[in-house]
Amino acid sequence: MHKLIGMVATTVDIFNNLWSVFSTLGVIVGIVVISYMVYLIVRNRARGGAPEPEDSPKPGELPRERKGAKKLLLSVFLSASIVISLILLTFIALDNLDRPPADAMEVKVVAFQWGWKFYYPNGYEAVGELRIPRGTAVKFYVTSQDVFHNMGIIDLRFKIDAIPGKTNIGWTRVYQAGVYEIRCFELCGDGHGVMIGRLIAMEPEEFNSWYSSLQAS
Amino acid sequence: MESHILPPGSTVKRWLLTTNHKDVGILYLVTSLYFLVVGGALALLFRLQLAGPNLNVLSPSAFNQAVTVHGLIMVLFVISPLAFALANYIVPLQIGARDLAFPRLNALSYWLYLFGGVLVVISFFQQRTLDVGWTLYQPLSSAFSPYVGVNTGGLGLALLVASVTVSTVNFVVTIFRSRAKGLRLTALPMFTMCILLTVLMMLYAFPALLAGIIILASDRILGTVYFSSPEGGAILWDHIFWFFGHPEVYIVLFPALGVIADVLVTFSRRPLFARRIIIAAMVIVAGLSFLVWGHHMFLTGMHPDVRRAFTVTTIAISLPFDAIILSFIYTLVKSRIELKTPMLFALGSIAIFIIGGITGVFLGSIALDYVLRGTYFVVAHFHYTMAGGGLVGLVAGVYYWYPKMTGKMFNEKLGRLQFILTIIGFNMLYFPLFLSWEMPRRVPIYPENLIPLQQVATVGGFILGASFLVMFWNLLYSLKYGQPAGDNPWGAYTLEWMTKSPPPPHNFDGTPAFINGQLSFIAANGAAHGEPETHLSVWPFMLSLASFLSLLGLTTNLLFTLVGLGLLAFSVLGLAGERFISREEKIGERWPFESVDRMKLAWWTFIASEVMLFGVVLSAYVYVRTTSATWPAPGTFFDIAHGAVNTFILLTSSLTVVLALASARIGSRAGTAGFLAATLALGVAFLFNKYNEWSELFGHGITFSTNLPASTFFLTTGIHGAHVFAGLLAITYLLSRALRGAYAREGHETLEYFGYYWHFVDIVWVFIFPLFYLV
Ligand code: HEM
Ligand SMILES: [Cu+2]
Repeated sequence: MHKLIGMVATTVDIFNNLWSVFSTLGVIVGIVVISYMVYLIVRNRARGGAPEPEDSPKPGELPRERKGAKKLLLSVFLSASIVISLILLTFIALDNLDRPPADAMEVKVVAFQWGWKFYYPNGYEAVGELRIPRGTAVKFYVTSQDVFHNMGIIDLRFKIDAIPGKTNIGWTRVYQAGVYEIRCFELCGDGHGVMIGRLIAMEPEEFNSWYSSLQAS
Repeated sequence: MESHILPPGSTVKRWLLTTNHKDVGILYLVTSLYFLVVGGALALLFRLQLAGPNLNVLSPSAFNQAVTVHGLIMVLFVISPLAFALANYIVPLQIGARDLAFPRLNALSYWLYLFGGVLVVISFFQQRTLDVGWTLYQPLSSAFSPYVGVNTGGLGLALLVASVTVSTVNFVVTIFRSRAKGLRLTALPMFTMCILLTVLMMLYAFPALLAGIIILASDRILGTVYFSSPEGGAILWDHIFWFFGHPEVYIVLFPALGVIADVLVTFSRRPLFARRIIIAAMVIVAGLSFLVWGHHMFLTGMHPDVRRAFTVTTIAISLPFDAIILSFIYTLVKSRIELKTPMLFALGSIAIFIIGGITGVFLGSIALDYVLRGTYFVVAHFHYTMAGGGLVGLVAGVYYWYPKMTGKMFNEKLGRLQFILTIIGFNMLYFPLFLSWEMPRRVPIYPENLIPLQQVATVGGFILGASFLVMFWNLLYSLKYGQPAGDNPWGAYTLEWMTKSPPPPHNFDGTPAFINGQLSFIAANGAAHGEPETHLSVWPFMLSLASFLSLLGLTTNLLFTLVGLGLLAFSVLGLAGERFISREEKIGERWPFESVDRMKLAWWTFIASEVMLFGVVLSAYVYVRTTSATWPAPGTFFDIAHGAVNTFILLTSSLTVVLALASARIGSRAGTAGFLAATLALGVAFLFNKYNEWSELFGHGITFSTNLPASTFFLTTGIHGAHVFAGLLAITYLLSRALRGAYAREGHETLEYFGYYWHFVDIVWVFIFPLFYLV
């Protein structure tokens, strides 16, 4: 289900597949339940001399019991089966998210107040901008040198916490060449809103010549 | 002025000194609505900033302050206190009690809450207030936030926690011990039932927050390094905060569920559908709420199995919620619905909450949360649950009980107008935030494509704000011009409607009892005789003022602290020495605590919260030890001998307390005083030894900030030492009375209660000694 035609899954596919299932079901369930409630209200609205229901609680009583266990358990069983199948789908998706592709390029990311530092496998260090070849998966080793940040590339449906003293691992893969925004998703101080970096996905040949020119220098 | 007669409501004296639960309820109501205005104004301020993609209404720092304080005020100073306004007024009426079990403690809760809020407001005027998000993530709010205002705000939260602890104890004891005869626990009206579950959750959740605040304050003020070292740091705080934080979200929700359940029955004229299952579901939710905190940490890199476990508990907790909401809806089947204002708000709240619950399932799916975390989707989710389910549900309660509280009927047309504005404003404000799920939260600028969504939200915010102005107008206007409401304007069945509106100070003429399931008023047997009850005391106010000054001094001028501590001692003595009469009815339903009197139950409840406090402090220690690569071997850093001597001293003192009580029981005045004096001496010896130990460490250059072993040692033994110190103050007081012959004749229960505390403090040491010195 995560395979697009001929391509390996990306974090975007994994998210989008799951999102469409959840949002479809979510909207349906929401509409059904709320409409049912509105229907009951409209139908049972007291008009004129409508009689009191027989079992209406009388002043000074203890609460009356009103049966309904069967109906209720049935309804809960129904929603439980929806929710549980959603979670099973989640676990399948999670397996893919947790397993970075073997061919991934490894990049170390250090978040700081307020920006991003990137360390390439060859030791090259860049601030604010990360270049990668499109099509190749990238595996991030993310940490922070000061406070709690969160590295998110929302267009790639990628996000991971950047925590001082801890290195978290995540991956993504881009097929489309272009520029993607890297933003901080955890409040980290005054510059939180402008803690923006760029991920530049380049054509592989371009990337290779750029990357080897680094080694040369 | 006799203290059993309440001065008229137009006097300042009445409102400063009152201890009557209905007055305290009104005070809570007015104050929480006031803070609603403060929190709302802050929200409109940052909604103005967000009216355009790149505006400059607020500086980034001002924006963060507004967002942070808005969150804290709404969650801690508005929703829960509003719920407790209703609870204060209504719970004793619903269970047929004359007042809460401890009227003065109730007033104390209120004043501590108010002064806590005042500290938060003051912090605005000290450079910067809290600007680190309501979740106070670390190490941003410790090592990276040097502002005094943050300290003051944090101490304000500490006062609030104190207030919550006191009212927790009070409500637990009241609901267990003061029910009318025949009112079994399972037959409680739903509002009282929900308040009971709420305070039980509070009892275990708030000590975790307190522990967190103490550690944070110690890092900020004393220089310990819990949160600035990577071994503790961010993740330790996450665990502590969310262990509190998740139950807290249900704590703000449950009272509203109770209101909704009661309102539904009254206005649909049918019993609650599957009532027992709802109660069971609520009990399950309350219990499970302590096992889901990890779902706020899915992205922190936790172990995959732990993450899965938290997903399972999170999904599991959504099922009982399902049952609750569906039962609410099924209640409407074959009913006769009157769409009066309270009912409109109750139904509206359910509909909104449904959307919040569904989106909660989205967030519980880790793979989706990977993307939604930290975005406006989360903001929308928790406003649909907390503001929609919680606050809107409580508004239903305010309208529902307004006629009871004032004797006047509100204006129905204005009520409906508010309802329409609320529903429109609410959804315009928060629904677009779901659709802004690509935007990080707590950010003052955004890309152009979000302009329409964000602007609709801002307009919605102002409509929602206006809807509350309509409510304030309605409540004030009707107070003066409303029609007389009568005792039971809605034809409701629960006990609060079976007395006058507003009820007299003692609530009911005669003692209510349910005999064969039907209410009757039996001749008042206990209350008619003896002295009338007291309804006035100055000490709750003084105690709170004293605490306020003591804390304020810590961040402004230590002179305040000195004055505050003096006043504190004075007020404690005043409170202890005051003649204050509040009687329990002789007959009543008390299961399962028939044989545990109310003081004893109060002590047990309080100690349960202390157990949680030390549990969290010790867990924090165990946590940093397991994450630290190295730790000094036993005996190299801390002197085992000191610890061993102190263990011996404290254990002996437990024995002397027991002997003091035994002597009091057999009427031996000398024995009582003697063994109390021995306990005092042992306690002093303990602290003296502790003092020596600390000075030796300081002498070797080991201080609070040396490293984690030192920080954890000083803070943990420091908190314990403070408990010993408080105990010694109490012993001094007890001893001074024992020397004058008290306890040996009567009142030896006081020694017993003190004994619980003292044994508890000793037991904590029994954990500390091996954990810190031996392993
Ligand atoms: C139906 C069951 C619910 C589920 C499955 C659920 C699930 C979640 C999850 C997984 C998160 C974490 C999102 C994130 O930060 O990435 C979350 C956040 C939150 N939820 Fe719920 N939730 C539910 C009901 C509620 C209720 C009833 C309330 C309050 C009355 C509530 C209040 C909150 C709050 C305040 C946050 C965010 C706190 C913050 O980060 O500032 N939720 N919820
Ligand atoms: Cu939660």
